[in-house]
Amino acid sequence: MKNRALLIVVAAAVLAAAALTLLYRGNRFFGPGPEATRRVIAIFKTVDYAGTPFWANVRDGVLSAARDFNIEVSLRGPEQESDIAGQIEIVHQAMEEKPDAIVLAAADFNLLVPLAREVRRRHIPLVCIDSFINSDDADVRIGTDSYEGGQKLGAALVRYVKAGELVAVMSYVKGSSTAIDRESGARDFLKNRVRLLDTLYSQSDVEQAYKQAVTLIRLTPHLRGIIALNDPTARGVGRALNESGKAAEIALIGFDNSIEVVNFVERGIIRDTVVQKPFNIGYLGIEMARQLIDGKKPPRFINTGSVDINRENMYQPENQKLLFPVAPAAPVTPATGAHP
Amino acid sequence: MKIRRIQNTLIRAFSALILFALLLLGSLSWYYLRKLLIQNAEVTTMQLVIQLNRIIENYISYMDDIALMAVNNEDVRTFMIYPATDSPQLRRKIGASFEAIRSVRRDIDSVFLLTRDGRAIASTPGALNPAVDIRGRFAELESGLKPGRPSVSSAHVENMVDGRYPWVISLVRDMRPSPGAKSFGLIQVDLNYDIIADLCRNIQLGQSGYVFILARTGDIVYHPRQQLIYGNLESEHIAEILSMSDGNLNAVVGGRAILYTAVGSRDTGWEVVAVSYLDELLGASREAEYYFCLLSLLALVAAIGGGIFISRNLSRPIESLRRSMQAVESGNFDIDITVNANNEIYQLARDCDIAVKKVRDLIEQSRSEQELKRKLELRALQGQINPHFLYNTLDSIIWMIELGENERAIDMTSSLATFFRLGINRGSETISIRTEIEYVRTYLTIQKQRYKDKLSYEIAFSPELYDHQILKLLIQPLVENAIYHGIKNMEGLGFIRINGEREDDTVVIRISDNGIGMPPAQLQALAAGQIEPRQGSGVGVRNVQERIRLSFGEQYGLEFESTPGAGTSVTMRIPVLRGEAT
Repeated sequence: MKNRALLIVVAAAVLAAAALTLLYRGNRFFGPGPEATRRVIAIFKTVDYAGTPFWANVRDGVLSAARDFNIEVSLRGPEQESDIAGQIEIVHQAMEEKPDAIVLAAADFNLLVPLAREVRRRHIPLVCIDSFINSDDADVRIGTDSYEGGQKLGAALVRYVKAGELVAVMSYVKGSSTAIDRESGARDFLKNRVRLLDTLYSQSDVEQAYKQAVTLIRLTPHLRGIIALNDPTARGVGRALNESGKAAEIALIGFDNSIEVVNFVERGIIRDTVVQKPFNIGYLGIEMARQLIDGKKPPRFINTGSVDINRENMYQPENQKLLFPVAPAAPVTPATGAHP
Repeated sequence: MKIRRIQNTLIRAFSALILFALLLLGSLSWYYLRKLLIQNAEVTTMQLVIQLNRIIENYISYMDDIALMAVNNEDVRTFMIYPATDSPQLRRKIGASFEAIRSVRRDIDSVFLLTRDGRAIASTPGALNPAVDIRGRFAELESGLKPGRPSVSSAHVENMVDGRYPWVISLVRDMRPSPGAKSFGLIQVDLNYDIIADLCRNIQLGQSGYVFILARTGDIVYHPRQQLIYGNLESEHIAEILSMSDGNLNAVVGGRAILYTAVGSRDTGWEVVAVSYLDELLGASREAEYYFCLLSLLALVAAIGGGIFISRNLSRPIESLRRSMQAVESGNFDIDITVNANNEIYQLARDCDIAVKKVRDLIEQSRSEQELKRKLELRALQGQINPHFLYNTLDSIIWMIELGENERAIDMTSSLATFFRLGINRGSETISIRTEIEYVRTYLTIQKQRYKDKLSYEIAFSPELYDHQILKLLIQPLVENAIYHGIKNMEGLGFIRINGEREDDTVVIRISDNGIGMPPAQLQALAAGQIEPRQGSGVGVRNVQERIRLSFGEQYGLEFESTPGAGTSVTMRIPVLRGEAT
């Protein structure tokens, strides 16, 4: 009897030691365990990163956070920013894959609402970044306060345009929440100060913006200001203005940035551009998704802010980093299983 | 009282002792291990940072060499000092020499020449950026410059060439015709920022440690997570790092304890800062903790095992002894107590064994004595129904009846009846002296009928003795003895005197006759119990003597005195047995 008791004690001790070994060693040999299995699908408005550096920057933020928080991220989106049906299809597909969370930049303010409701019904956490939807189905919204950004556009313009002069507003995709909010911010700021023309939509296409601007400049001799609500539009308008030689008369204010826009700012063709913080939007999108997966309660809205950039302040250290993002450290993409 | 098993006590004591020792040892070694690990990490990180600083300084000094070379180049001096010499040929020549420098070193992004009067030459192919105001840029650069000394910028975007916006670090030197004179121009050498970034990026500090570079102004020259810092998603303790001299700083960032190791450089004016995470530095201590836990467990097992082993060796003999003693308690004395041990317990067991054997012998002795007593008593009783005595008495009665002596026959018969009634009565071992006397008296009455005038007797007891107890049939056999050996064969009148008195705690009863007496040899034989009565009740003196000694001990018993021809006297000594009558 006593022998058996001794045997049991020894066996229990050995088992406990083995368990301890696994506990300590397991972490090292088998990775951090279940944490690694968090899967997030991030859906952008477009994956044309070369054409829209903004989204390349969002992607960098997403991948950076994916690495920091050990999340497997799949990056998706339509080729064209205006392909709303394409994005709806992508979201639908993503939902069927039952990820741990979805991060979405909605291509349309209204058309994605039913789908977002369905995502919520299936208890998949939803984080909206950059562009939002016309419902409260998103658990968290992260992005630039677009109305505030629009007001900054107006505030920049009135430094160059006298009261009552003629100003055009050039938007991009009609249903996009950011387009709507930027425009209303700018219009609200400007409505009692200048005369505003009807909005034109470039569909985020540089060529189309260029053509619209060429026509606009040719047909509106008294035009003194143009507000371009995103980067492709600003580039198209900038090219037209550059060619027309009227850059000194017509103040162009843009939104977002690319190398071409920066060059236009340096040369005075674009007077000001209001830039966002796309890296932060992407990074926070993943971080909040993780919080939702972990059952925490992040804030409902995070304003990542925007900055008015012009020729005078563009080479200040903090602005340089916004305009010329330094690529993140190399080994990001393969480890996270992303397929941009 | 709660009985504790030796085994449990030992195991508890062992475990407590070993755990205490382990805890002490463990915490001490843990403390020193941690200290050592942190010290080692501090030293190696410091070496790493110093080395990185040296590499960067090498780059900077290489850039300075290039700048110096350009400053001292004859063509460059001519171009700067004499605007009149400006020609496409000279510009091409200078541009080509810059390009030659640039092309052999991919770490140099570009070399520029700027003059006070607003002329510029770039090494890089492509037009100068028309948006850049050369005079303005010249003034801007000159303001941060010490005469004759190179100046190193923080990381910045270079926009001198149209359409190119590389991140670079710039070194600027001025060119003066003579010391003290105003500079005519500047040479700017741009180092590819990626070189610095790669240098820092390639340094691995544990799992997630990293290196960043801080300019004295607080600007971040390089940080692996620059975007997060600018977006205020992350922060470093920049003010503290700048305010301290070279060395280490402990801080907490994002809930993790970190160790900053910073070394400044005079050449660049930068601080190279290494960030190590303490939890990663202490990975080895975690391993040590693991082994310590394992060791503790093993030691605990050993303690329990050792406790069980030792206590079993100790308690098994005790347990066996206890079992033996329990057997003895329950009445089994027929065992040998031996234990398998070679210590005090063995001695204890041996003593117990001896004691038990002694008890066993005593019990045995007491039992055989009891048996003997009972046998003797039985024989004494049997003696009462000695058939000779009965026949003789009955013969006497028959004779009396035949002679018509009815009165005497009646007396004789009733005496006989009383004699037997008293002799055989009750099972008790003792009777009162009064009853014994009556018994003797009855016996003498019967004998007197037989011996008629030849026998007379006197019984005198002090009355206080009457209620004392006496063993049954002690006096009668002695009286019988007196009749058969003393009086029966004598001439003349025989007289028997029986008296009893108390001497302290002893009852002394004396039976004396005036019969023929005995010679000393016969007396001795009688005293030794060697003479068995062949007549009378047959119980004999020996029976009386043995019963007294068995019941009361050697100091009691019978004493004989005899003078041949004059009589015999037997003195009986028994203890006073008061009121135990039944």
